[in-house]
Amino acid sequence: MAHKHKTKKEPAAPKSFGWMAEFVDEQQLLVAARKLRDSGYTKTDAFTPFPVHGIDEALGIKPTILPFIVLCAGMTGTCTALLLEWYTNAFDYPYIISGKPFASWPAFIPVSFELTILFSAFTTFLGMLALNGLPKFSNPVFTNPRFDRATNDRFFLYVDSKDRYYNRDAVHKLLKDTHPESLEEVLEDESSADIPQPIWMGITTLAIFSLIPLAAIYLIRESRSEEPRFHIFLDMDFQPKKKSQQTTTIFADGRVTRPQVAGTIARGQYAPTGSYYLGYDPEKVASLESAKATRFVTLGQPPAETAGSPEEGTPPAPQEPAPTAPAAEAKPTGTPATTPAPAAPTATEATPATEPAPAQPPAADAAKPADAAAPAAAPATATGEVNLDTLPWLTDFPEGVATEANMARGKQRFEIYCGACHGITGDGNGLVAGRAAELAQGYWTPPTSLHDAKIRQQPVGRIFHTITNGKGKMGGYSSQINAEDRWAIALYVRALQRSRNAKIEDVPEGERAALGNP
Amino acid sequence: MPAVLVAVGAVCLLLSVGLCFLNTHEGNRAEGVQFFMHSYLTNYMYCLSFGLGALFFVLVQFLCRAGWSASVRRLAEIMASTLPLMAILFLPIIVMVLMTNSVSLYEWNTDKPEGLIAAKKGFLNGPFFAVRSLVYFLVFIGSAYFVYSNSRRQDESGDAKITLKIQAFSGPLIMLYALAISFASFDWVMSIDADWYSTIFGVIIFAGSMLAFFSLLAISCMLLQRNGKLVKYVTVENYHDIAKFMFGFVMFWAYVSFSQYLLYWYGDIPEETIWYQIRINTDNGWPYIAVILLFCHFVIPFLGLLSRHVRRHRTGLFFWACWLLIAHWIDLSFLILPNAGPVESMFLVGHLLGFIGMVSIFLAMLLLKSINVPLVAVRDPRVPEALSYHNIIV
Repeated sequence: MAHKHKTKKEPAAPKSFGWMAEFVDEQQLLVAARKLRDSGYTKTDAFTPFPVHGIDEALGIKPTILPFIVLCAGMTGTCTALLLEWYTNAFDYPYIISGKPFASWPAFIPVSFELTILFSAFTTFLGMLALNGLPKFSNPVFTNPRFDRATNDRFFLYVDSKDRYYNRDAVHKLLKDTHPESLEEVLEDESSADIPQPIWMGITTLAIFSLIPLAAIYLIRESRSEEPRFHIFLDMDFQPKKKSQQTTTIFADGRVTRPQVAGTIARGQYAPTGSYYLGYDPEKVASLESAKATRFVTLGQPPAETAGSPEEGTPPAPQEPAPTAPAAEAKPTGTPATTPAPAAPTATEATPATEPAPAQPPAADAAKPADAAAPAAAPATATGEVNLDTLPWLTDFPEGVATEANMARGKQRFEIYCGACHGITGDGNGLVAGRAAELAQGYWTPPTSLHDAKIRQQPVGRIFHTITNGKGKMGGYSSQINAEDRWAIALYVRALQRSRNAKIEDVPEGERAALGNP
Repeated sequence: MPAVLVAVGAVCLLLSVGLCFLNTHEGNRAEGVQFFMHSYLTNYMYCLSFGLGALFFVLVQFLCRAGWSASVRRLAEIMASTLPLMAILFLPIIVMVLMTNSVSLYEWNTDKPEGLIAAKKGFLNGPFFAVRSLVYFLVFIGSAYFVYSNSRRQDESGDAKITLKIQAFSGPLIMLYALAISFASFDWVMSIDADWYSTIFGVIIFAGSMLAFFSLLAISCMLLQRNGKLVKYVTVENYHDIAKFMFGFVMFWAYVSFSQYLLYWYGDIPEETIWYQIRINTDNGWPYIAVILLFCHFVIPFLGLLSRHVRRHRTGLFFWACWLLIAHWIDLSFLILPNAGPVESMFLVGHLLGFIGMVSIFLAMLLLKSINVPLVAVRDPRVPEALSYHNIIV
């Protein structure tokens, strides 16, 4: 106690920071706090083990300005998000996403909301720390061991000596009158108020270590090297898989690309034959022209067994007839349909070959009529083009297609797959067409109207063929729509066409009256 | 007084029927009936939402052992106990669904449903609808009665064990409540457009109900205090807390409503956007209501209730509570009425009259339920905590 009267000039003298009163319950604390407040003290504080209702009001604590700071930060967050999204999406790198406008405000809102919260939360936390003068590594109130019970079962009231009206004796008397459990002066803490050295060292070490990754990234990005790049994550560049043309040790022959297993059909390569799947009669084709016959029939067949199997390392390529001579005179003893389809198609001669392409063992040496030999002999077929107008199309629907159920199915499929371009009524005015016409980009081919005389005169088989293989800019739909549905669509197209050109005779007797016109 | 109110309500509702029925375009009576049924459902859901909100509030107070609300909880209990009486007003809809094939309110209520509705026939049909409605009301009324009767028993005995008992049941009851209000919203409100669906719809109805309830709670406390009741029981701290809830649910309503909009806007699938098509993409006036809702149900009250000074200010709070009650009515009208087809101007008068009628009847129920009932659960062990409660000044 004797220390208290020493003057400040003596360095060893503990300095008084204020008074600390200790109470056993919160009611006493509240009474004392109100008394302090009413006496005009503002630099006061209370320390309690739990939140005491009304303590703010009892101490006369003014509302903090933190909410306003947070409000400003929140609005900054909103604006930052909106600006960022608008800048990136609508200004800097406009990119159509889901067909939405570049500046899609509904899509911006979630991010704006999140950023508002983020900015507000950080500001609340950091602002609270800043307004409280935290972090603070030393506080003189901790010098008294009694104060430890502030987190346990005691209530403390503190008057800071920096208060405007602070008078050591007056405060002492005032607090004494509230009958505290104990009343002690808070004396200077002997420890330094500076941040302890170990913490500094820890922070410095962390800061230095955190530079290492940055330095590494900088080095990798800026340096040139012959070596492969350094990869932290291998996922995209090195994947645990083999690509074609690579080698492997898994299979004896070392090939990564496996030959097709005998007796199987690869996905997408199944090509059923028969008029139901082709739209024309392949047998009639055979009787028309031998060249086309071979072409079409072999197209419809699975690849013929190649007798000259590539067993002993003979690669398939040399089997292909070398473009040796224009040998046009070479009478074809065998049809060329022996090697897999690509090699076969262009039989050059006009000799009708009635028997359609029996598989013959290819003479590996034979100077076959080559592709290149063709041009003069058969200009029409040599290019592989087929005159679709003369094909023996099916003119009637196959058995079982023309049913009520199929008509409904065809209508539904038509509206799903075809209506977008050709229009629901087949006029060639679908949504896509309308949209494209609006853009007027110049390279748009308008969809055909299905009511064109040209189309109406086409046999059904040809319509089926068009759906299957496409025409002009229209792609084939065989991969999306199965054959049954393609026929159903063809059926519906016929119905659409007929609806425009119906005669009264087409209407059933019983329903003619409903049309109104006699 | 309740009798007068009921009479006023009945007259208003009759007038509402009349206006809708007689002022139809080109004498198309079906249009009038259709509008009236939608209007009736709107106003019905409006009055029901107070009880639904109150029930959830009471349950959640017990569930989290809240002390601050013990002094105002009885008012919420009284509001929740209007639910049995409100169930009576649902009978016309049940009768319509069971006895007729009228599609004037629920388009699935027909013998020959088509398209998607035919596929939903197993769920959306008259008898099953009635059974489900019964179950919902059993949950609502049962929970409300359980809490209220036990709380009243505590008034007599002061037994703290009763609080613990309600507390123990409040968890399961709140789960039942969540299911019931969600499915009730689907059945009663969402199924007027039976093709359309939104899984968050029940939450939107819930958010609106909570908002309406807290607004009504604040207004009731103020009116009672003006008449010398509850003077010492409801402090500015209680008002502050109620206002915080109002503020929160303003935000929550906007959050869930926007969630629904965002997903449908982004997906842009016709069967989902159709609901917004007839609300914000037409030229019949509903788009204006949508903008009014955005501002009056969210932006303006959000900014208005943002300040704690407003939330602690009695007149300010009163103003915003009234504002939100009106906004809630517009919200429900926006959810239901666009499905009623074209709106004649006299229909709107009918709708307003129906609103006055239904609210009068609801007030009568409220008065009836509060006669000879202590307005505070006086012997609740948590009332002292509520009275000494202070908000931390931040």
